[in-house]
Amino acid sequence: MSASTPEVRTERLEAPSASRRSILGFFMAVPPIMLVVCFVGIPIIIALTFSFGYTTGPNRVVSIIGQQIHKKDHWWGTFAAYKDVFKDSRFPGDFRTTLGVTFLSTAFTLLMALGIGLYQRIMGGRIASIMTTLCLVPLFVPVVISSWAIHTFYAGDGYMRSVLSHVGINFPTVTSTVSAIVIGSVWTSLPFAILMVTSGLQSIPDALIETAQDAGAGFFRIVRTVLIPLAITPIVIAGTFTAIGIMGSFTIPLFLGPNQPTMLGVEISNFFGAYNRPQQSIVMAFIVFASASGIALIYIWANIRSAKQSGRV
Amino acid sequence: MLKNKLSKALVAAAVSVLALGVSAPSGHAASSTIQVYISADTNIQDLWVKSLVPAFTAAYPQYSVKVTFDLHGDHDAQETAKITAAAVLHKDPQVDLADGGFVTQLGAAGLLWRPTKGLLPNLANLSKTVLAAGKGGIPYRASSVLLAYNSDHVKTPPKTLDDLLAWIKANPGKFTYNVPSGGGSGYSFVQTVVDKYLSTADRQTLTLAATPSLEGKWAQGLETLRTLNKYTYGMNGTYPANNAETLKDLATGLIDMGTVWSDQFASAQKAGTMPTNIHVTQIANPPLTGGASYLGIPASSTNKTGARLLANWVLSPAAQNIIVAGTLSGLPVIPVSMLDPTAAASFAGVDISNLRPTYLSANANDLKSAWATAVPGK
Repeated sequence: MSASTPEVRTERLEAPSASRRSILGFFMAVPPIMLVVCFVGIPIIIALTFSFGYTTGPNRVVSIIGQQIHKKDHWWGTFAAYKDVFKDSRFPGDFRTTLGVTFLSTAFTLLMALGIGLYQRIMGGRIASIMTTLCLVPLFVPVVISSWAIHTFYAGDGYMRSVLSHVGINFPTVTSTVSAIVIGSVWTSLPFAILMVTSGLQSIPDALIETAQDAGAGFFRIVRTVLIPLAITPIVIAGTFTAIGIMGSFTIPLFLGPNQPTMLGVEISNFFGAYNRPQQSIVMAFIVFASASGIALIYIWANIRSAKQSGRV
Repeated sequence: MLKNKLSKALVAAAVSVLALGVSAPSGHAASSTIQVYISADTNIQDLWVKSLVPAFTAAYPQYSVKVTFDLHGDHDAQETAKITAAAVLHKDPQVDLADGGFVTQLGAAGLLWRPTKGLLPNLANLSKTVLAAGKGGIPYRASSVLLAYNSDHVKTPPKTLDDLLAWIKANPGKFTYNVPSGGGSGYSFVQTVVDKYLSTADRQTLTLAATPSLEGKWAQGLETLRTLNKYTYGMNGTYPANNAETLKDLATGLIDMGTVWSDQFASAQKAGTMPTNIHVTQIANPPLTGGASYLGIPASSTNKTGARLLANWVLSPAAQNIIVAGTLSGLPVIPVSMLDPTAAASFAGVDISNLRPTYLSANANDLKSAWATAVPGK
């Protein structure tokens, strides 16, 4: 985004054909912007006002149906729904689980993606390519299918327990635990992270690695001081995308996680549907939104850094 | 010139995007199409799509029925909001006949067309108390939650709730019920344990009106449920997500006992997915809950004539026979004497007006939330 503005400005100063092109470009950008404004932007603002107790206008119907609705008692609204959520004994556990799962899964995903990426970058060859390709398979399996597959694999009557019980090992039931959510999240996030990290590592010129080798640097030193610093932008982007995706995940924690504490994605759905408390569910959604914004800042930092490096800013 | 074109196109784009959001629900259904909304499990979907609708359209070829299905009622809140919004705004809710737990809630809010015997003659065959409990909903089938057990391992099943609680503690890891927000069979067990500590009057009140003041009395029952955490399957306070998972755990032998819906259990036995050594029984003091399922005709429906015709037909002996004898194995709402005798034999002696009702949905929602706070993982 930050990079496109100066380009547009220079084009405008050129011949009329270029200005026509820039108008065409603007025109092409309108539908997605309108879509985001109408179907994402405006609903977010309406939801925000609802969370502060504005129960009229577009929020009228949901306030008729919902339970435990708080109406505003000041001109700016009320914090009552926020208090409900922060006082709810489920919330601290849910919030910790959400952040913990996000952090652990992202860390594991990046480590594994780096492992594959480095192997392919440094060793190269056919086996490395085949392994990278195999790692992309989860990209083509819908999340709901993979969650269920992982569930049947680790359940009480699942594959792991059945096979290992034949050799006298009592493998623990992994489903309905936070560990299962981490396994599922890593499984589904890995392909995208591998694509990003591998392509980042591939773009580093051989000359740099060879120079380091000639200077006597060992494998880990090359990785630490050459490869990772040069590929840090795609690695950070992979990490932020993975973390934001996991933070808002629903299917995996629903199928694989414990009933309580659960991730906020599932809890929001419970509050909205089963408990019929739309206001509190929106409050939780804003908490996830705020947390994800923190991660988005890292993404923006990485983008600016890469733009600076390539001289665009 | 170009600017003019651009601004025209911008306006067109803006209008079309807005139109997408605003005008979608206002299309009117042709009066020959009846729009049915079903919020339930797949066995009810099969009942409508494979049995009731084909039989109805064969009898009334001038009508076509469009079924919209919502698995496990995941979107009940949204559908309720949609129908309420349609009523408030005097728009077509795009539902002429709804089947789901939210129907009585709509009835209580005065958003349903009130059925009368003049326009729905078959109402005359229904129990007055069951009909009155619908608050405008039309009872059309019934089911009950039962205790299913593996007869190979359990020779004398518990007869009362106290027996059941004692059995669970004596056989760790062999009983479970699903998360109450995930399905009615687990919900029924939770309500039954909570009701054990309530007076009959309090139980009655909770089925009729939203009474947050009584919810404090659930504490003792929830504490009983919490102490069961280490004795239920999973042993660490985790529970199956929905009705189907409890059935699967029974069928695969992971558990020896669990609460199940009568109709889902019977369907599974007919389909061969439930082994014959799994039997069902009802407990007492208090019994597990059950009751009628209600159809509702939204007051703002644009095809009430068609909806009434379909509702009236569903209450006819022909349709009730399908509900009882088909794959659903449901309970009828009309007197057994009006049914096909072979179909009626399967459930002789069940009087649906005696089934113990579940709480009003507002109280039930709060109980689900209270359970999630007090029981799992604690």
